[in-house]
Amino acid sequence: MATEHKPSITFHPEPRQLPGGEREYMMDVRTGDLEVNMGPQHPATHGVMKILIRTDGEMVTAAQPHLGFLHRCAEKIGENVEWLQYLPYTDRYDYLSSMNNNLGYSMAVEKLLGVEIPRRAEMIRTICAELNRIASALVAFGTYGLDLGAFTPFLYAFREREWLLQIFEKACGARLTYSYLRIGGLFNDVPPGWLEEVAHFCDVFEEKWQEYYDLLMVNHIFVKRTADIGVITKEQALDFGLTGPMLRGSGVDFDLRRDLPYMLYGEAHDAGAWKVVVGRGEKGTLGDCWDRIYVRVAEMMQSVGIVRWCLANIEEGPVLGDIAKTLKVPEGEAYVGIENPRGELGHYAVSDGGKVAVRCRVRGPSFCNLAILEDIMPGTLLGDAVAIIGSTDVVIGETDR
Amino acid sequence: MDFQGIHDHLRAIEAPGLVRADEPRLPNPEDKKDKGRSGDAYVVVEAAQLASFLRVCRDDERLAFEILADLTAADPAKDAEEFWVIVQLLSVQHRHRLAIKALVPKASARIPSATGVYRAAQWHERECAEMFGIEFVGHPDPRNILLPDDWEGYPLRKDYVFPTEYRGISCQ
Repeated sequence: MATEHKPSITFHPEPRQLPGGEREYMMDVRTGDLEVNMGPQHPATHGVMKILIRTDGEMVTAAQPHLGFLHRCAEKIGENVEWLQYLPYTDRYDYLSSMNNNLGYSMAVEKLLGVEIPRRAEMIRTICAELNRIASALVAFGTYGLDLGAFTPFLYAFREREWLLQIFEKACGARLTYSYLRIGGLFNDVPPGWLEEVAHFCDVFEEKWQEYYDLLMVNHIFVKRTADIGVITKEQALDFGLTGPMLRGSGVDFDLRRDLPYMLYGEAHDAGAWKVVVGRGEKGTLGDCWDRIYVRVAEMMQSVGIVRWCLANIEEGPVLGDIAKTLKVPEGEAYVGIENPRGELGHYAVSDGGKVAVRCRVRGPSFCNLAILEDIMPGTLLGDAVAIIGSTDVVIGETDR
Repeated sequence: MDFQGIHDHLRAIEAPGLVRADEPRLPNPEDKKDKGRSGDAYVVVEAAQLASFLRVCRDDERLAFEILADLTAADPAKDAEEFWVIVQLLSVQHRHRLAIKALVPKASARIPSATGVYRAAQWHERECAEMFGIEFVGHPDPRNILLPDDWEGYPLRKDYVFPTEYRGISCQ
């Protein structure tokens, strides 16, 4: 017996009469559950990640991130190489904010060692970490526009980012994986004229920042695509352990740099050099995609404030503390969480007194921030999926480590 | 609150499963073998009571740990009898942290899941389970997260033997 062929779209034979006299043909679209693999190679996932989405017509009914395509066993490597040798591996988890990764790892080991960091080293560390935050936010901002179909902001953002990468290159020779901030301080002092160039960058960037804001953030189409989309409530954000701009985008006034201060951030905050940016639901509901991207964009200017404060207060001096060539770290365990551009980067290091770590745990902010997709994506439109995924600003190197 | 204050408060409210506090100490000059301990202070909690302990930490007004920042495990040594399960809590309201350690015997590595208290624990526990082979009892979705589903062994255990090949791919 031949099976009956049923077309999925059928026309109603009789058109419906509208009040104005027009006739409307109704299409009867039957929908059903359909599972779509978004990724592993999809431009909007910003790397190799797969999101299994179940749709019913245009509605997303379930979403499940699948990770591990970029898993490089960073934690296991940490148990097999010497303390200082592990530093270049930290560059590679969130490769857009390597300076901050270096810093987090160095601070965890320094906590175990109990060494003093020279003040000049701390200043340059702070400058580098904040410039790196700007570079990272520029990628987040540019690629988010790209995800939503705005090509120009991406080009603008990468113009300034290129300058920043050149500044980093002058300091340490690398453009992306720096390994510049090391345990005990810095690998080398900055070259002559470097601080002046950073100051010049800050002046130019301030003007450019307004351009970005006008170009994308208040763009009518962009606001329509992001406001009221992918709302994360304050309770959800805390329950899922979101940190960084994701948490502040939901209206929680918390920044590790101010609230559990490390390095010179507390001092800079007390001097009024910067303040914490919190989402306010300006264009829609508090905690929507617009608020999250707003926090990232607005934080760039706060970073400029911190850099300026450091430039005004920097002193001459050594840049490396009293550190042995081959490190032997005293027995103990330490957890250090710092404010990375994507949230709290935690390093949990355990030492048994030897040259190699017993445990080298990395708590990547992207990993934790991504988990919320399972919760906020159901009930949204398929067309908004890219907007929501993009607003989490994940770096796959870090989710998988 | 600092660590001392948090620990005293936990004692005062008789938090379930609280065993002791472990604080860093300086080396003992008289005993050369005692080199002290550096780093953070933490509290040790009975493994079976971990989830209820976390619930108290979250709901108590003076502690108010809203965020589970990290949940991980460690295998201290090849011949150790126990794994450590380490939880890092963070309070946004009071701006303090707490490190919690639970000891889980290697012979029967089971611990109640914390997903009912913090949903943030869900992915951390999946990672912990696949890397150490610790079973989180009551976890709603105990699949592998970073490793392939058919991966054999628990890579972060100290007695892990590196495979020579995986599905025809040489790992040497």
